[in-house]
Amino acid sequence: MADEHDVKSSRHQESPPDPSRRRFLKGVGIAGAGAAIADHLAQTAEAEATAARAEAAKLPTAGPLELALDVNGRRRAVSVEPRTTLLNALRNHLEPAVTGPKLVCDQGTCGACTVLLDGKPVYSCLVLAADAAGKKVTTVEGLGTPEQPNAVQAAFVEQDALMCGFCTPGFVTTVTAYLKKNPNPTLAEVREACKGNFCRCGTYPRVFEAALAAAKGTVSDK
Amino acid sequence: MQQQSPAKKKKKIKVPRVVNGVDTLVEIEVDDDGSVAWGPNDKHALLNHRLPRVDGHVKVSGAAEYTHDRRPPGMLYGRVLRSPHAHARVLKVDASAARGIPGVKAVVASTDDPARKELVVLFAGQPVAAVAAETPEIAEDALRAIRVDYEVLPHLVRAEDSVKEGAPKVFADPKEPNVEPRDKRGDASKVAEALKGADVVVEAEYRTPIIHHSSLETHGNVVDYRGGEEATVYASTQGTFTIPGDAAQELGLKESAVRAVVEHMGGGFGSKFGIGVEGMLACQLSKQAKAPVHLMLTRKDEFLLAGNRSGSWQKFKAGATKDGTLVALHAVQYRLGGLGDGSQAGQPYIYAAANAYREGYSIHTHEDASRAMRAPGHPQASFAVESLMDELAYKLGMDAVEFRKKNLKDAVYHRQLDRGAREIGWGRRNKTPGAGAGPLKRGMGCGIGTWGGGGNDECKVDVTVARDGSVSVAVGTQDLGTGTRTYTRAIVAEELGLQIKDVAERIGDSRLGSANSSGGSTTAASLAPSVKDAAVKARLAVAERLSPLLGGAKPEEITFSNGGVSGGGKTLSWRQACAALPAAGVTGHGVWQTSLAGRGVHGVCFAEVEVDVETGRVRPIKMVHVQDIGLPLNRLAVESQMNGGMIQSLGMALWEGRVMDAKLGLQLNPGFGDYKLPGALEMPELVPLIDDEDTREAVIGVGEPSIIPAVGAVANAVHNACGVRVRELPITPDKILMGLLSERRGA
Ligand code: FES
Ligand code: FES
Repeated sequence: MADEHDVKSSRHQESPPDPSRRRFLKGVGIAGAGAAIADHLAQTAEAEATAARAEAAKLPTAGPLELALDVNGRRRAVSVEPRTTLLNALRNHLEPAVTGPKLVCDQGTCGACTVLLDGKPVYSCLVLAADAAGKKVTTVEGLGTPEQPNAVQAAFVEQDALMCGFCTPGFVTTVTAYLKKNPNPTLAEVREACKGNFCRCGTYPRVFEAALAAAKGTVSDK
Repeated sequence: MQQQSPAKKKKKIKVPRVVNGVDTLVEIEVDDDGSVAWGPNDKHALLNHRLPRVDGHVKVSGAAEYTHDRRPPGMLYGRVLRSPHAHARVLKVDASAARGIPGVKAVVASTDDPARKELVVLFAGQPVAAVAAETPEIAEDALRAIRVDYEVLPHLVRAEDSVKEGAPKVFADPKEPNVEPRDKRGDASKVAEALKGADVVVEAEYRTPIIHHSSLETHGNVVDYRGGEEATVYASTQGTFTIPGDAAQELGLKESAVRAVVEHMGGGFGSKFGIGVEGMLACQLSKQAKAPVHLMLTRKDEFLLAGNRSGSWQKFKAGATKDGTLVALHAVQYRLGGLGDGSQAGQPYIYAAANAYREGYSIHTHEDASRAMRAPGHPQASFAVESLMDELAYKLGMDAVEFRKKNLKDAVYHRQLDRGAREIGWGRRNKTPGAGAGPLKRGMGCGIGTWGGGGNDECKVDVTVARDGSVSVAVGTQDLGTGTRTYTRAIVAEELGLQIKDVAERIGDSRLGSANSSGGSTTAASLAPSVKDAAVKARLAVAERLSPLLGGAKPEEITFSNGGVSGGGKTLSWRQACAALPAAGVTGHGVWQTSLAGRGVHGVCFAEVEVDVETGRVRPIKMVHVQDIGLPLNRLAVESQMNGGMIQSLGMALWEGRVMDAKLGLQLNPGFGDYKLPGALEMPELVPLIDDEDTREAVIGVGEPSIIPAVGAVANAVHNACGVRVRELPITPDKILMGLLSERRGA
């Protein structure tokens, strides 16, 4: 690619965002990504790799993929290219769009795009839509509504754990998933759980308070 | 129905008006009756309480629609092609291949207009073309398919290089030199003379790097224009009313035909005024495609082309006498704003020096122009002078707080310093920097700040009470996350004796009453008084209608409280009362009341840190910020803002800074992976303290003051902890380790 790395060349072609693991995945397309390599990259067993390649070779590498995503308990049919991330599928390809998860860095650095995949928090900008097929996708919209917030959402409002709110869906999703795993966390554990999410407005202290309040069940209901 | 007021006396006053985030004072004429008042700060039913924000539930559930989330039918996705060179002439843009990609609906290139002068890009990241396509993926492909021929020109991205004799020119225009003189004040020879009489003299240079706003919602717009006479622009902006004019010009429409919508926005911090180059491109693409275009910058775009806080380079020579009096200060201040002018408060900032001289310059480089960022120029100036004051105090062997008090006339600083010192436990601090056993050293430091703020008369607010009892307040202003919606509702609810939930607000729409841009912490001080005025007028209009039902009580004597309306010995429920209104209800039109707004605040910050002298790592332990702000509209939101200010300062002090490659002219860290924002693991204990001894019954903004004093406080705490004085931000481990090493060598 000829981005800023090759500045001596006077011909320029713009490249997609910075190199990242997902970019690598997207680059090799479904042939590489089909076997959920995010979890398996480290495994080098030759046999597995061969099997994966054979399996992947059956999948298309370009052109539209017809997928069925399970989003917040609803089956959503969507047609996307193999390189489309889950985040982009949710925000830009579903009709109507699911825009709770935010596109902020598209690089797996900020956590604003966090969704639950079979209950586990993931950066949806690092997951290919194709890899989410057959799994349960839960976005912040699926955790509660303005009228019926879950305990974490209610605690966020009560403790003022949000300002502009753009990071908030990510934090709410992360914290909700964490409290399921550890319903009685310490402050240090909550911090640790939130380390993958950035907030520029500076809501961290109150995010921590909200998480602890939600865990203790001390949030008054609306 | 409108509440008429008799002809009033007028007076002329100066108020701040914000243009591009920078405020200048202008003279306006206002009513001079002072008849509207907030009343004592501790006597409010809703204001000055802890009010959860009214847009909280839609934001925590993902239901809030930000500009980035807008999806008008038929919408296309826009992307920008950036220059990879810091300085180059664009010879040719060939977009034919891009146009041929299925799904690509519009392409604009800098070379489209043959009448236009040749384009010379002046920073790496400057847009040279843009595309709109059916999906973001196709738009990305289209960018890759555009070929641009450049003639590469010599570039400068370091201030040191730019000031060199014979350096290449940043701008072609001979009237724009690389180094531009700014302000000059004082008598240098008197300062030199006074320095001779000083008992201690410190000569030091301080530097701060370029800082990125890093709003989580990037800059951008969704321009909905399908041909015809009208357009709607959804904008992520700090100024709803800065959008229609800009967009109309690009679209070739009348300004009144363009509607701007800013329902929710994901942070701006001073960087989002006007439609910007990204908005202009979105308009052009939308016009070409006759379809709505969603053009939100990518994160990398955001780093490279959406503005920044200017860096600084400040050189001092300052002297004090044994009793701790600052007798002389000589400052040379450079603002490093890339193509922009940068900003920096003049030294000696808040301190009183018997003899002071300063000269200021802008040094230009081939980098994106600086923009306003939360208290433009102040954190830079404050960090430098607070470090300098500390150096003088230590050299004199004087307590850092006492030294400051000695040189600060304003008693408010004295009380705030005392309070902050108490809260952090100043007595526990390291008596000798670097003292104590073991590799983990604790230290404390402090800093102070000031901000003007103030309000102006740009806001026009309508409060309407309907016959069914519903109440709405409407004004076109925007909520950046500061809590505008919440206090707007609360003011009206309190005035009418209702609860917050009984009032609905409509904001973020240029079809509503005009409002100022959110810059210079002027929003609350402009908006709140206008809302109050509208609410008072609505209350009197309701009262007038009710007078016959309440034994002929005078409208001003009818009271509104606890959801009831009382007068003449009778009480009506709100519902009953409103049933007496005309079918259209009543509306109060509010304008700014100078008596309700204030201006000018102080602010001090204390910080405690732990430095690991083996690794050079700094761990923030605790920060305390004391802030006066007149009437705090919502204590919860004010504290949140103060937390945010402390956290952003912490980032500037310890982690953040643009890194450029001088040879390539490129930024090396244009993403959150390499530009380190403060995160959850680094959070110290934060103590935001509202200084309630400020009893001014007036609204003053708090966004900016809270980011100023903490940077110096953290730097001073690092020195107190380990004995190393880091004069160049951010205070990274390498600088601390090098400092320890040179100390050891020097000893
Ligand atoms: S958008 Fe996915 S981590 Fe930032
Ligand atoms: S609330 Fe604005 S980024 Fe977190």
